[in-house]
Amino acid sequence: MNRSLLNKSILEGRFLLAACTIALLAFCWTRVWLVSQFEMSRFETVIEQFRDWEHFSPVPFEHLVTYTGRVAMAYDEPILLLCVFLWVIARGSDCVSGEIGRGTMEMLLAQPVSRIQVLWSQATVTLAGLALLALTSWLGLYLGVHTNTIEEPRAPVWTIPWLGWQLPDPLAAEEIVRRPMADKVDMTHLIPAAVNLFSLGFFLAGLSSLLSSCDRYRWRTIGLVVGIYIVQLTIKIVGLASEPLAWLCRFSFFTAYEPARFVSIAVYHPESTWSLILRNEVGDWNGLGPLGYNLILLTMGLAAYLGATLIFHRRDLPAPL
Amino acid sequence: MIQVEHLTKRYGRFTALEDCCLSVPEGEILGLLGPNGAGKTTLLRLLLGYLRPTSGSATIGGWCCSNHSVQVRRQTTYLPGEVRLFGQMRGREILRFFAEVRPEGNLQRSLKLAERLELALTARVASMSTGMRQKLALVATLAAETPLVILDEPTSNLDPTVRRVVAEIVDEFRQQGRTVLFSSHVLSEVEEVCDRVAFLRAGRLAHVQVMQELKRRHRIQAALSGPLPPPPGELKGELRIRRERPGVFVIETPGELKPLLQWLGTLPLEEINVQSVGLRSLYDRIHDAEPVSAVPPQG
Repeated sequence: MNRSLLNKSILEGRFLLAACTIALLAFCWTRVWLVSQFEMSRFETVIEQFRDWEHFSPVPFEHLVTYTGRVAMAYDEPILLLCVFLWVIARGSDCVSGEIGRGTMEMLLAQPVSRIQVLWSQATVTLAGLALLALTSWLGLYLGVHTNTIEEPRAPVWTIPWLGWQLPDPLAAEEIVRRPMADKVDMTHLIPAAVNLFSLGFFLAGLSSLLSSCDRYRWRTIGLVVGIYIVQLTIKIVGLASEPLAWLCRFSFFTAYEPARFVSIAVYHPESTWSLILRNEVGDWNGLGPLGYNLILLTMGLAAYLGATLIFHRRDLPAPL
Repeated sequence: MIQVEHLTKRYGRFTALEDCCLSVPEGEILGLLGPNGAGKTTLLRLLLGYLRPTSGSATIGGWCCSNHSVQVRRQTTYLPGEVRLFGQMRGREILRFFAEVRPEGNLQRSLKLAERLELALTARVASMSTGMRQKLALVATLAAETPLVILDEPTSNLDPTVRRVVAEIVDEFRQQGRTVLFSSHVLSEVEEVCDRVAFLRAGRLAHVQVMQELKRRHRIQAALSGPLPPPPGELKGELRIRRERPGVFVIETPGELKPLLQWLGTLPLEEINVQSVGLRSLYDRIHDAEPVSAVPPQG
């Protein structure tokens, strides 16, 4: 690793990273605030109207009508994903085709630095920024959960004088009390979602770098990554929508991005929070666990980065246009 | 310092450089000349390891240019023909980056050079003019104390004052015993600074000229009232004679002028014009594919 190259990458990405971090922090806090504004019983009524669409939901509706479930759905929000993907695609696509397109690769590689150093300095900054964004998403939710309160109905009670016993009072009107949201949401349950976000970001950063390493135009690299993203998302949606086409989901990397599901596992099966595979009650295979899915994304990302290194190391560098 | 052996680069059917053999000793200033597309930049890019050769090899300081390009670039500083710098950095940040990225880099040296070239360092690269950017890249390149300096059209976009300073700096490099590869379209500049010039034409090394020899060559345009007789024995092998129009001859000599002028003095001369053979005429001859052999004398 070369310190000057790292500094250069930080300098180039600092404004984008700052913008994405601030946007993410604000969005996550706002998302929790919105959750706190809707009383759970009303939300339950609304969500019941969509029972026929439950198969599109990553978690059963019963989990979705908990505060933890509703907060965890922030990780499926397009704005949150946009902030993270903007960073990884912008930086990943810049590493080779961006430098070649701008013509700066000439001067850069005229210095005694290897192509591997050039690529991995960029990758280090991209991945450190990604880790910061994943952490920020969790921190934004944490701040939201710890600064917002929720309204909760409380059954009225009647206290027997001198004895201090409390008995339900069926004649009194139900009272509404405010409680800190932190009483309802254990933030450690949301860590698997943030890790899953990092894993997906890592894969997309690797994919962007791979396409960048064989290209000379950054706009084309970005176009290709966005195209692949849309195709993969469509495959996932079609696979979820149609039972006979459910097999399509296996060919979408979005299948490995299930933050809300991993949060529900952390809530209901804490022993499986970081499992490689899941087992049912009798101990049989019940699919991959959160760690398994994360490892798939991380392995694909690493393979993409290694591919990018190999291609960039061997390719001819075209003269700037 | 530089050893190029049968170096060839092809892109599909297109041959950018073919069978190039060249040797540059330490301390020499070698000029690279040729029209656009002749293969100059391809040769430089092969030397720096940007391109992989189709066949042949090149070494710099004993290191293979394609397999040990980092070691090669440790001994080399290169100014590309098309200078592009990091747009969001300021001039000083650029110099700091290039000073820090090299093990032997020295920011103070860069700053002194910037002062010599009267370069302001506070502006961002993106807001600099083309000439300013070229100067900044020149400073970043020339401040590196490497045994080999490769300059691809270093003075394009520069004013005459800076051009003169660049020529002075190259001359200082010569005195320091550093090797310089100088590619340019400005013939006068090449003529001024180079020890030897390599001419590339259509991807081939067409000719290598020692500048000292070229400076001894003269061209005489002579108008005669009578026919031009064959030159005497001692001049016969050396002269290149061409009839420009009836009664007007152009005679080129690679050696001493005295015997030629003595012979011409015996002829019925009407007019005579003596000039040294510059790089221009050699360049034109090579690139207009003029035959190199002497034109037989005509009456």
